[in-house]
Amino acid sequence: MYKRYHLNTSPAKLPSTRIGKLKITRNDKCLNCGRCLTFCIYDVHKRDAADPRKMSDPASELCKRCFACIQNCPQEALKMGKNEVSEKMGDAYWTPQIIHTIWNEAEEGKIPVSGAGYGGPFRGTGFDAIWTDMSEIVRPTRDGIHGREYISTLVDLGRKPPWISDFENPKLPLSLEIQVPMLLDTNPLNLNSKDLVLSVIKAAHRVGSFAFLDIENYRDELKPYLESVALRFALDKIGQDHSVPWEKVRFIEILLPPEFSNSKLEQALAVLKERTQTVLVSLGITDPRSLDEISPLFQQERADVLHFYADTRGKSLKGDSFICEAIRKMHVEFVRKCNRDEITIIGSGGLAAAEHVPKLIICGADAVVLDLSLLAAMGCRICEVCVTEHCPAEVDKLTPEIAEQRLVNMICAWRDQLLEVLSAMGLRDVRRLRGEVGRAIFSEEIEREAFAFIFERNGPAK
Amino acid sequence: MKTIAINRCGSRSRREIGKYKVSVGETCFHCGLCVEICPDGVFERPDGFNCLSPPRSARCLGPDCRKGPYHCAAKCPVGSINIEIDPQWKNLGDFRWTPDLIITTWRQAETGLIPQDHLEYKVGASGGGFDSFDFVIDPAAADSLAAADTINLSISLNHRSEGSRIEIPVPWYGAGMSFGSVSLPTMLARAMAAGAWDTFTSTGEGGYPDELIPYRDCIITQIATGLFGVDEASIRRTRIIEFKYAQGAKPGLGGHLLGDKNTPSVAKMRETIPWNALFSPFPFHSVYSVEDHKKHIDWVKQINPEALISVKVSTPSDVDMVAVGSYYAGANIIHLDGGYGGTGAAPEIAKKNIAMPIEYAITKVHKFLVEEGVRDELVLMASGGIRTAYDIAKSIALGADGVIVGTSELVALGCVRCGNCESGRGCPRGIATTDPELETQIDPEWGAQRLVNLYAAWEKQLKSLLGRLGLRDIKELRGRTDLLRRADES
Repeated sequence: MYKRYHLNTSPAKLPSTRIGKLKITRNDKCLNCGRCLTFCIYDVHKRDAADPRKMSDPASELCKRCFACIQNCPQEALKMGKNEVSEKMGDAYWTPQIIHTIWNEAEEGKIPVSGAGYGGPFRGTGFDAIWTDMSEIVRPTRDGIHGREYISTLVDLGRKPPWISDFENPKLPLSLEIQVPMLLDTNPLNLNSKDLVLSVIKAAHRVGSFAFLDIENYRDELKPYLESVALRFALDKIGQDHSVPWEKVRFIEILLPPEFSNSKLEQALAVLKERTQTVLVSLGITDPRSLDEISPLFQQERADVLHFYADTRGKSLKGDSFICEAIRKMHVEFVRKCNRDEITIIGSGGLAAAEHVPKLIICGADAVVLDLSLLAAMGCRICEVCVTEHCPAEVDKLTPEIAEQRLVNMICAWRDQLLEVLSAMGLRDVRRLRGEVGRAIFSEEIEREAFAFIFERNGPAK
Repeated sequence: MKTIAINRCGSRSRREIGKYKVSVGETCFHCGLCVEICPDGVFERPDGFNCLSPPRSARCLGPDCRKGPYHCAAKCPVGSINIEIDPQWKNLGDFRWTPDLIITTWRQAETGLIPQDHLEYKVGASGGGFDSFDFVIDPAAADSLAAADTINLSISLNHRSEGSRIEIPVPWYGAGMSFGSVSLPTMLARAMAAGAWDTFTSTGEGGYPDELIPYRDCIITQIATGLFGVDEASIRRTRIIEFKYAQGAKPGLGGHLLGDKNTPSVAKMRETIPWNALFSPFPFHSVYSVEDHKKHIDWVKQINPEALISVKVSTPSDVDMVAVGSYYAGANIIHLDGGYGGTGAAPEIAKKNIAMPIEYAITKVHKFLVEEGVRDELVLMASGGIRTAYDIAKSIALGADGVIVGTSELVALGCVRCGNCESGRGCPRGIATTDPELETQIDPEWGAQRLVNLYAAWEKQLKSLLGRLGLRDIKELRGRTDLLRRADES
């Protein structure tokens, strides 16, 4: 019987008190009159349980910035400031706002909804230079109680030959389905807790996708989940004897260094073929220019998936282009060669928010790979202290069950947001979004078109 | 035109937030010199008291004042006045609605006057769109400000040769905000202000509460995809009918009223079950083409032949085609709602990412309508991120006939844009809430006066701007992109 794809979310809180964006302080002018308590509807202000004559310290993490207590305090005893811990999280790319959003998604598994219009910058760079389109007249995509669920987010990994050449002996290529266009990577920064590696793999298993795992981190206890693992080998590690049950492996990746010799890659592929015939092969590249050397391998049907790695801020390690442009270029190149469907393109690096998924797919990716966002879902503050010292957010002490549920929650929230974007366009299948740049509004182009009167006088904005 | 009564109408809170914090030290002996010299009323000695009231910091101009003869801190005989920036000020607002814009909107709603220059009241800090433009003022063409009362700001809402003639004295009217997303006192305040100014406000899609009937001449009945509370009586009652196809903040997604806000009174008006989340579908399930849209218009024209038809759409990349389609279906007004527009509840991904900002859509549609030869038959109204009088003028210079404002009205009523309108008890400040206790914070009379004042301040700014541009009529400004320049151009 047909079973509808469904993800079970459930609230999964971090053990520690959450970090709020604001800090409310009460100074000693306070008369304990309790006026703040009447005006605050978020329970920031409470009376001291032990001594109800006094007000207890404000629970700043619950504050929603409505200013009601501050404006109504007769003594001007309350002050609102930014919470320094929150302000210092992340960096210019992984902003505190992005981290807070991921935390909310991971905790609740719901689409972030709020009132009032968008308050951010008019336009930005990278993903923020793209708006997605909508269609004013579409088929119904939300029909009261049901409707959104009929949009498919399934993606095939592998090649789709344009025709079958030999009907006597049809050679059908290997193709793996993933239920969401998001794969997971167990290797953001140094995810050095073995339990959390397992949580990521289990989450991938639950959402019907794959998790990339470096072969060095493979252990026997991961065996039951091997069908959801993409084993990743460094080029020079292929051929070393790894105790892997090859018959269970469905997906492997060879991660190419920036400089490599083609003969070595050929050799590695040959070794691999000895081990197993029924496996999807991905080639991971960090330099977009490597594509020239490896693209014949896709034509020769020796590799199926191209995995482009940008850094965690979306910049390509060489060439300094943003992941969107890099992916768009690769996509266009295969379209020009008329073999785009005989390869799957996936991209990782810099995927920090739900909206980045449809945007990268619009630029030409079939699916995306999540890395640092997984760590953020587990409570990470993207401070990168863990490279040298102990994690201040104690991510490594999270229980595996909560970690797994938080990952599933985040992926579910991102999928639901993908559905929102697709439904606004009237699309019913995420595969139709791939490379559809007509479904996006690129800020540079629209600026030039709409504000032609200024461009004609002065050229582009500085 | 009616005379508009501008009365000073202060904030309801004990303490208004301003940019500067004035504090008086313990050495103060209440001589009252500061009360005499401060022209902005920061200091006050209540009648019959020897001591001064605590300073009203929000009125202080800060360092700007230092240049003038009124600088209290320098004149205080015991040097006990200290003026500093209130660090809390920075926590207000965001890139689009900067702390300055929120505070100056409050000041305009209080006084009805053009804000003083010490705060930026013309643009936000979003770095693009309206915020990146200013006007090219040619001193040679500039009229004297004294001529302001001969400047005409009125626009017509029907450019077709047939149908009722409706003119509004200012180039804006109020956006649709449903009963359910905002409280009844808020709706009443908006309706009363629209009545005082002879312009309009819209019901939004949550029905037409009976309390609004006295203001029927200035209320637009909205018909949105959920058809909540739509009945023939409310369609007959109105002079303008607005079809809401999409909303800029959540284009292509339909509406969403979270269960928390669907109180029994809201549910009754919407003919639904209390505390259930209410979805408006997208799109109208009876409209899948321009021809269907025409049938829709014919249907309401049967019920109310006199009414003008407004069509509210969001801003996809083919918005120009949509506008022309609406024109041929018989619309009088095309209302474009840009992607950064307001909402009572919307997915954040939609607010930020789906569909383009209004600035682009106005020029696109205006240009296309001109090329199609129908520009002078259709009224182009823009909304979605119009915050100030200068945004209104820029929209019109980009090609709109007028604008529709929403968020700035709520800011005038005391909104701080904290964005928590959607769930729980709703707005803690009593604006976007249906909580019977919270909504008592807004007194409709008070709210109406605040809006009347804000409108008055905008009117003054627009007249002064037109005078400086050498124009006599707001209609002459339409499409004058040559009067705009990028703010970074020297």
